[in-house]
Amino acid sequence: MNAQASFNGNRDNLKTLVVVFLRGGADGLNMVAPTHDDGYYRARPRIAIAASDATKLDGSFGLNPLLKDLAAPYHDGALTVVHAAGSEDTTRSHFEAQDLMERAGDVAGGWLGRYLRFRGATTTGALSAIAVSRALPESLRGAPAATVMRSLEDFSLGQGGDPLRASLEKLYAKEIDALGTSARDTLEALRRIEKLRHSAYTPAHGANYQRDDFSQGMKQVARLIKARVGLEAVSLDLGGWDSHITQSAVMDPQMDKLNAGLSAFYRDLGKMMGHVTVVVLTEFGRRLAENSAFGTDHGRGSVMFLMGGGVKGGRVMAKWPGLTRDVLEGPGDVPVTINYRDVLAPVLQRHHPGVDLAKVFPDYELKPEAVYG
Amino acid sequence: MNFTRRNFLQAGSAASLSAVAAGCNKFEIPEGFGIGPRSVAPPNGPFAVPTGASIDLVSHALNRLTFGPRPWDYQRTRKLGDTEEAAFAVFLEQQLAPEKLDDRGGDNAVRRFEVLQEPLGELFEYQDKYLLDALVRATVLRAVFSERQLFEVMVNFWSDHFNIDPSKGDAKWLKVADDRDVIRRHALGKFPDMLRASALSPAMLWYLDGRVNKKAGDADKPNENYARELLELHTLGVHGGYTQKDVMEVARCLTGWTVRETQRSQLGLGSVEFKCHLHDRGEKTILGHGIPAIPEKTKREEADKLGRAELATVLGIVGLHPATARHVATKLCQRFIEDAPPAATVSTVAEKFIASGGDIPTTLRALFATDAFRTTRGTKLKRPFHFIVSALRATHATTDAGRVVQDYLLRMGHAPFHYPTPDGYPEEAAPWLGTLLWRWNFAVGLSGNTLDKETKLDADKLRASFATEENLMAHLLGRTPTADEIIACKDSGNPLALLLASPSFQKC
Repeated sequence: MNAQASFNGNRDNLKTLVVVFLRGGADGLNMVAPTHDDGYYRARPRIAIAASDATKLDGSFGLNPLLKDLAAPYHDGALTVVHAAGSEDTTRSHFEAQDLMERAGDVAGGWLGRYLRFRGATTTGALSAIAVSRALPESLRGAPAATVMRSLEDFSLGQGGDPLRASLEKLYAKEIDALGTSARDTLEALRRIEKLRHSAYTPAHGANYQRDDFSQGMKQVARLIKARVGLEAVSLDLGGWDSHITQSAVMDPQMDKLNAGLSAFYRDLGKMMGHVTVVVLTEFGRRLAENSAFGTDHGRGSVMFLMGGGVKGGRVMAKWPGLTRDVLEGPGDVPVTINYRDVLAPVLQRHHPGVDLAKVFPDYELKPEAVYG
Repeated sequence: MNFTRRNFLQAGSAASLSAVAAGCNKFEIPEGFGIGPRSVAPPNGPFAVPTGASIDLVSHALNRLTFGPRPWDYQRTRKLGDTEEAAFAVFLEQQLAPEKLDDRGGDNAVRRFEVLQEPLGELFEYQDKYLLDALVRATVLRAVFSERQLFEVMVNFWSDHFNIDPSKGDAKWLKVADDRDVIRRHALGKFPDMLRASALSPAMLWYLDGRVNKKAGDADKPNENYARELLELHTLGVHGGYTQKDVMEVARCLTGWTVRETQRSQLGLGSVEFKCHLHDRGEKTILGHGIPAIPEKTKREEADKLGRAELATVLGIVGLHPATARHVATKLCQRFIEDAPPAATVSTVAEKFIASGGDIPTTLRALFATDAFRTTRGTKLKRPFHFIVSALRATHATTDAGRVVQDYLLRMGHAPFHYPTPDGYPEEAAPWLGTLLWRWNFAVGLSGNTLDKETKLDADKLRASFATEENLMAHLLGRTPTADEIIACKDSGNPLALLLASPSFQKC
């Protein structure tokens, strides 16, 4: 029996969604600065990114210099910035806002889990959903099958599992129904991962992953995508964005990691990026005005990044409200003009046209953004 | 800190208790805190096992009517009658009268979750996360340790049929009462009683928005959420012959039923009330049955009575409707027979459902008597919950149904009370096919005792429960092993893990 031929997870057209959650409330204004808006410079006399320092995107926005490598995918037309985006949460509590963003509604599980359950495919592969973290994130709860991966070691049948695997293979070979097919897929996925584990990985196109956890996580994801183990959804966390005090000391190292991880991944995957969409989001942005400690406090709207998967890049999508006092919300925050669900929905639909979006994002009237142009 | 019993219960996980125990050798676990309950001593082995090359009726019963046999269950059940048929009949009647079964094992397993017996209002004094954990653990522990197995299987069935996702609003607290007062109270009772209990369950009123279904003024549109699911999922079924108009009319009939909420009041929290002034008093028609208007001049008490009665009228129309019988019978047949049960079998079961006034034991007797049930053996994929519980039972493992067990259930997408939509976890095989890797890992972890301290087995004792290795295999397979299975066991280096991970053990 040719296991290769029956391996469902290996379909070439399988798309992978990689969700990067910036935990702690990342300041969108500091990552993608509205260099055209005087309000920004008035409110942040000491910490604003000068237009001359920013990496120019369009006439209105510029990247923080520490995110400069994202300019390459941006100008390739593969990266979109969505600004003044976020959720409807007004508590400005990390816990509440992260929960809301991950659950996307008052229903069990998270949006990523419900996406996998209601995406319109009847079966789910063994390795269709992975969280590169220590615990299953809220967003992946309720997935028909999801696993937490710290390293490739987690995909094995324990130490000395080879004879067991061989015996399982023999027993399941006699199963001619869907269970047998599924078993062969699972065994094939295990075999591929086994091979990865025992081989050194050389990223393509000279991509260079840094040593930090985020870059290493992105590298593992790239390996799994290339090994075609049937990966459909990945969740990664990059924390440490809570910049109440000396914003640059808090955010600079995190932006450096984000910049390095995303750009190495982009370079490494090359043309395969067409089948992979990376979404970067955070639970909320920061207050417009800097505080006395060179930091910023919890706010509302922030940025999202979309990379790959055919998104129409090279633009900053925004219903920019202008940073004048009358449009700021509550204590002086950038309002949320684009709900994150309206950015995610078209991406999910692109990956699985049969997805039941009403179940993924219940009790919400979708107004999908034109992320594909 | 005022260290009340309640605080202690909320803080005292099994893990922290065993940490105390570890620091003090003589620490005695008080009655009621039994960890890994085994208080009803099993009979002495070695036990008799199935001797046929295919699954016999007794093994079939243990596969389908229970969450899988423990080491002694086959012997004990087989001895209930001279023939397999006679043994099956006695076993079925025992299981259909769960209150008569001595269930100290099951009771002891959940004794520490006395919070689940708290009256409605008291539930709000607990943290919602604590309640959910207690509910999940009690559910798993009863499935593993209770003698009332068919009852637990039916609890599992009705929990899906009347699914409530407790993340919504006050259902966080109220699902505990729903589980106790709706699902468990009526799991082997009469369907119309359960339906009524569910309609008036505060958790259901929260989950499907019944509590905000009202008509206070002309502008108020009724909330159709519950009405739709009542017809589509709980009773008639999606092709049950009702129209959108029927949904709206049912919603109108149910206007005014509401729940005391956390944010508004501290008194009588969670209690269900009928508010006549929020009820739509106009004329209605449901599936052709007319319900007269309640005239303006009607006295208050009389209007109140008439308004309340409309709920009973609606449930009376749909509760034992032929479409409901067909819908419930189909789901029961899918549960106990196969994904696509024969139409004739469904009809037989549906007829009994109607003839018995929705008596669940009578309906089940009819189902278990059908040829379709008798002949489709060992062909149904266990859902992950069934797999985990059957593995724990088959190996006579101890467990606290804590973190490690719940993590496996979560990874496989089948943790109790974690399903978002009102249709409940799917019954058919396809959605669960992606869970093999975790089943295999669980088999490896359980057989090697590498899960955690609370969930483990005694391999020597398990081996000693059977005269030969082949008998242990027959116990796990429900039949004698094939030559291939014997060889595979030898080659695997880990026979117990292999058998628990084998295709046969994934099925029932």
